[in-house]
This record gives sequence, C-alpha cells and structure tokens, in this order.
Amino acid sequence: MKHRLYLILDFARRDLRERYIGTSMGKVWFLLSPLVTILIYTVVFSDFMKMKLQQSDVAYSYSIFLVAGLLAWNAFQTTVLRLNTSILDRAPLIRKISVPVYIFQAAILLAESLPLLISYLLAIAFLLIVGHPVTEAIFYLFPLFALQMLFSFALGAFFSLLTPFFEDLREALPIVMQLWFWMTPIVYVPEMLAHRFPALLTWNPFYLYAESYQGILLDGVAPPQSRLLLMLLIDLALLSLVAWLYKKMIPTIKDLL
Amino acid sequence: MALQKDDPDDQGSPVSGSILLEVRKLRKVYRVYRSNRDRLLEIFGKRVPSREHAAVDDVSFVLHSGETLGIIGLNGAGKSTLLKMIAGVIEPSEGEILRRGRVTALLELGTGFEPHLSGRENIYLNGELIGMRRDEIAAVEEEIIAFSELAEAIDEPLQTYSSGMIMRLAFSIALFSRPDILIVDEALSVGDAHFSAKCTRALRERKEEAMAILYVSHDLNSLKILCDRLLLLDRGRLIGEGSPDEVVRRYNFLLAGLEGEAAHSQENGSYGTFEARIESVSIRGSQSGASTLSSGEEAAIEIVIDARHEVKAVTVGIMIRDRFGQDIFGTNTLHQGLSFDLAAGTRHLCRFSMPIDLGAGRYTLTVALHKGLSHDEACIHWYDDAAEFEIAGVRGPLFAGLCRLTPAISWQKIEKR
Repeated sequence: MKHRLYLILDFARRDLRERYIGTSMGKVWFLLSPLVTILIYTVVFSDFMKMKLQQSDVAYSYSIFLVAGLLAWNAFQTTVLRLNTSILDRAPLIRKISVPVYIFQAAILLAESLPLLISYLLAIAFLLIVGHPVTEAIFYLFPLFALQMLFSFALGAFFSLLTPFFEDLREALPIVMQLWFWMTPIVYVPEMLAHRFPALLTWNPFYLYAESYQGILLDGVAPPQSRLLLMLLIDLALLSLVAWLYKKMIPTIKDLL
Repeated sequence: MALQKDDPDDQGSPVSGSILLEVRKLRKVYRVYRSNRDRLLEIFGKRVPSREHAAVDDVSFVLHSGETLGIIGLNGAGKSTLLKMIAGVIEPSEGEILRRGRVTALLELGTGFEPHLSGRENIYLNGELIGMRRDEIAAVEEEIIAFSELAEAIDEPLQTYSSGMIMRLAFSIALFSRPDILIVDEALSVGDAHFSAKCTRALRERKEEAMAILYVSHDLNSLKILCDRLLLLDRGRLIGEGSPDEVVRRYNFLLAGLEGEAAHSQENGSYGTFEARIESVSIRGSQSGASTLSSGEEAAIEIVIDARHEVKAVTVGIMIRDRFGQDIFGTNTLHQGLSFDLAAGTRHLCRFSMPIDLGAGRYTLTVALHKGLSHDEACIHWYDDAAEFEIAGVRGPLFAGLCRLTPAISWQKIEKR
C-alpha cells in the first residue's frame, strides 16, 4: 500500500517535471499560463472594453468574475480530459506491467491539482493588487478546491473506463466539455440564463463550483454549507459508482488493450 | 529432470528446491464480440452473442526455486498470454496462480522507459514499476550501471540510446531487483554476443542463489543451454513437459508438421537432366534422431536416388550452407574416389556420416547428382535446400564461431618479472 502511494507521488512528480524538461525557463511556465489568463481578461474586458457587471460598480468586477470561473474551469476541463484518455495513453505500460491503473489516474489528479492551487494563489494576489476587498471567505477556496478535484477525478475516471470501449469518446468529450463550458455562467452572468433556461443552472453540477468561486472572489461571500454538502454528496456518489465500475470493468479493459 | 550434461556448473537436482510458483488449471478465454458495445453489455450481465477463443487452456505446472523453466511453442501457442497472467498483467478466466516472492518480468524492449528521461532516472522509473522501493533502487543503482556497462551514457536521455543499450539497462534493472522469479520473454536475443554471454552467466549465478527463471524463446539453442526443463504449448494446451532435448524434439515434429506441406509444393530449386532423381534427403543426429543436433554429434545424411535410366559414373555431392546462404562445407563422392553406376529402374541409398563440428545456428543442405568432379560438367539433378537442420548445444569443449578446430594447447613460462 505504501509502495503504491509512493508510486502515485512519483508519477505525479514526473508528470509535472516531464512537461518542462528541455524548457529553459522550467518552472516559470507553471505560473505563466494562469497569469496570462488573468492578464488578458483584465486588460481586454476591463481596460479596453470597460465592461462591468451591471449590479456592481467595482472597476474590475467583470474581470474578477471571469477569472474566478475560468481558472476553475480550465483545471476542471484539463483534468477530466486527461483522465478520459489516461488508460489508452498508458496502454503500452498497462499491457506489460502489473501496476494498477488507478495509480496513473491518481497521479494525474495530483499533478493537475498543483496548477489549480497556483492559479488561485495568483488570483488572490491579483485581488490584492487591484485593491479589491479580500474577506475571510477566501479560506473557502481550499475545501472548494478539494471538492472540485474529487469531482473532476470521479468524472474523468468514469469516462476513462468507457473510452477503451468507445474510442470516439476521445474526440467527443472535448466537444461536450466545450458545450458544457458555454452552458455554465462563466463568461456571462447567471441572470442571462435564469429566465430562459433555468434548468441549466439547477442541473449543472459545475455551476455549483463556478457560483461559489465567483461569490468568494467577487463579493467576498462564503458558499452556503448546504451547497458544500451537496457537492460532497455528488462527489461521494460518483466516486462509489466509479469504484464499482472500475472493479467490474478493469479485467476486460486489460484484455481489450 | 535432465540437467544439461555439458554444463559442469550445474550440480544437484533443482527439484529439491521449494515451490515458488504453482499454476493450476489455468485458462484464459478471449471472446470475440460483434462490437465493443456488446462486450460492455456482457460485463453487466446481458447475454450477447460471442465466439470464444481459449488462448491458454487447462495449463498446470510448478516452478521450483533455482530452476529454469523454458516455454516453447509455435506462434500463437499462448506463451505470452501465460507469462502475462503469471506476471499479473492480465487476469485468468479460470484457474489459480500461487506465487511466493517477487515476480519480475523482463517483458519487452523499452517497456516502462521514458525516452526523454536520462538512463539514471529510468532506472528509478523502471525499478518502481517492477515493484522496488526507492531506497532499494538507490542501493543497487551503481551495480546496475556497472553491469549494464553504461556508465558514460547514464545521464544522457534514453532517446539517444541504441536498442542494445536499452536492453542492457532493462536486463540489469531486472537482475538487480533480485526477484524470486524472473520472467524473460525473448529479450536476451537483442544484445550483442558479449552481453548475451554475460547475461547467461549472471542468470546462472542467480540460479545458484535459488532464483527461478521462466524463459520463453524461439531460440532453441539458448533454451537448451539455460533450461532445466521445458514446457511445450500448442494452441493453448500443455502438450509436453520434460528435459530440453526431449521437448525440443517434440517441438521439431510439431514444426515439421507445419513446414512439410510448404516443402512439398516447392519444386523449384531443382534442375538437371533428370536421368536420375534425388528422391529424398534427410539429416539426423545419431543421438538426437532428429534434425536438431548438438555440435560434435555424429550426423547421418541419407540421400535416396531413383534412377529411371541407366547412368554411369555418377558423383553425389553435398553442400552445407548457413542461414545467410554462405557455403560452409561441401564435398562429393569423387573427392574420395568414389562414383557409382546406376542401372535403369533402380533405387539407391547414399549415406554420408560425419561428426557435425559446426557452430550453433540453422543450416541448409543442398544435394547434387552429377558426373565428374563438379556439377558444371554434366548435372543430373541439383536440389537446392533439400533439407534443413539446426545445431543447438555443444558436445565436448565449448567453442565460438562456425566450425570446430581442435587445437592442442601447450604452456610455458617465458619470462619472470
């Protein structure tokens, strides 16, 4: 067991390192991507287009709103998509070596957690720089972050079990994720959906996260306990389903690879 | 239990070792479905049409400590499937595998290596994948590097390595992971001769420390040298088990059964005036009784000649060629002053007997009937590649190369320092 935990950590470490091997700036790239995301949305929408949220008179309100949802979404999407193909990507190894498949998947989860964590630290720094009030609600980012990673993991692992059977999923899931992105109030405000497609808000598990992040960063409001509990229940339900499917499906998947 | 008689290092019977691996009634069934959708539905209990294919069927055997067990069989016999189940990569459909101790599989070249990481980093990656702890790896890291002879390249990325270098690294890691059971699937054939020999030596040493080896190869020679016992698989079933000589002979019959049909249809490679024909050609070892011989064994080449017409003063010639088609040795009856008169409608048997002092490998035998010293005078029947044989194992002192010369060795001290 200890050895497996060790393998997970080591694969995660390698995953992070491999991305930057041969690049001269190494770890700088880690910071750069979320930094550019934040910068672009600030400069383009708040400075050039002078966009603001209607209900707010804060100068950078729209940028903060955007950054809150986008950083979370980027991590969510990357994690789900990487997990989706994780079994196929590791097929050469899984075919030959008796290492449990979940090791590679847990390593992806760990490796993808780091950029999200860094993103939010940068976002907090950004709030401080533009002089936006930061309340103690900011600490809710951490449980939120954990819940989100679990959610991404469960969802990605679920698809990863199906993808070996239906390789079309490899192409389809990125498109589905893109649709999901635009069906979630990340770029636009939820009020725009509330009247015409209220179901998109009610039945969209990612909106639970987007709404919470936006609340914390923009309004300094902590997400209600009931919402966190709902997230936890969704995570646990999904994880149990995935664990059950994993046990049932992995032997066949190994034959299939 | 037959030990290699020509191996002076082997002493005592490995059967006395404890059982490290026990395989009971192992079966692996692959199903062929109409679609992956059906395959998925089947997992959840829905009945769907499918065809069954048993890759491994009812195989049982035991492996003792210090024993080397070889597995042979034609392609598709289920060797790799069996090894994968033993290594824990795939799960058996039925049956049991009881393992005691660490099983390390040296499966395929480059598996579990990352090309952009350095050799040293790959030692850690590969080591962890085959179940070593980091501190265990650190303890043998230098030994691995030394054994693989890669000290100079070890911090270069693996993509700059040749396949031989990667194989050396993989083998060294597997060896120093100190497994109780080492699974080797064809991997030894990749390296150069020097390293192959070093591997063989290292494996022998580990055997004495009670490591068991499961070895799959098509190289009959290395199987004979390394293995105490062989299993013969045919279409998933275990059809033979015993000493290497015995099982290799059965394997050859199996092989011949397949190759026979192909040989009959090939009438090319023959030419001549055909007043007489070479009806059949065979080569057998006096001890092996088969076309796989040990070097130094007495070989009998039998040529059956059918004369339709009367031919006077016929010379019978043979030529042995190696697998590259190089002439290795040829002679004919006239070189020894013999020629024969054949009456019309008679059949004759011409036999060449000699100790076959050739190096290990595959050879072909070409036979000719002609007049005079050489076939370019009057060729009656030239029959290219009339028979095949293989030299595996050596009787008497070991040697290297294609042929055995018999040097006398003397020794004297010529200077004192």
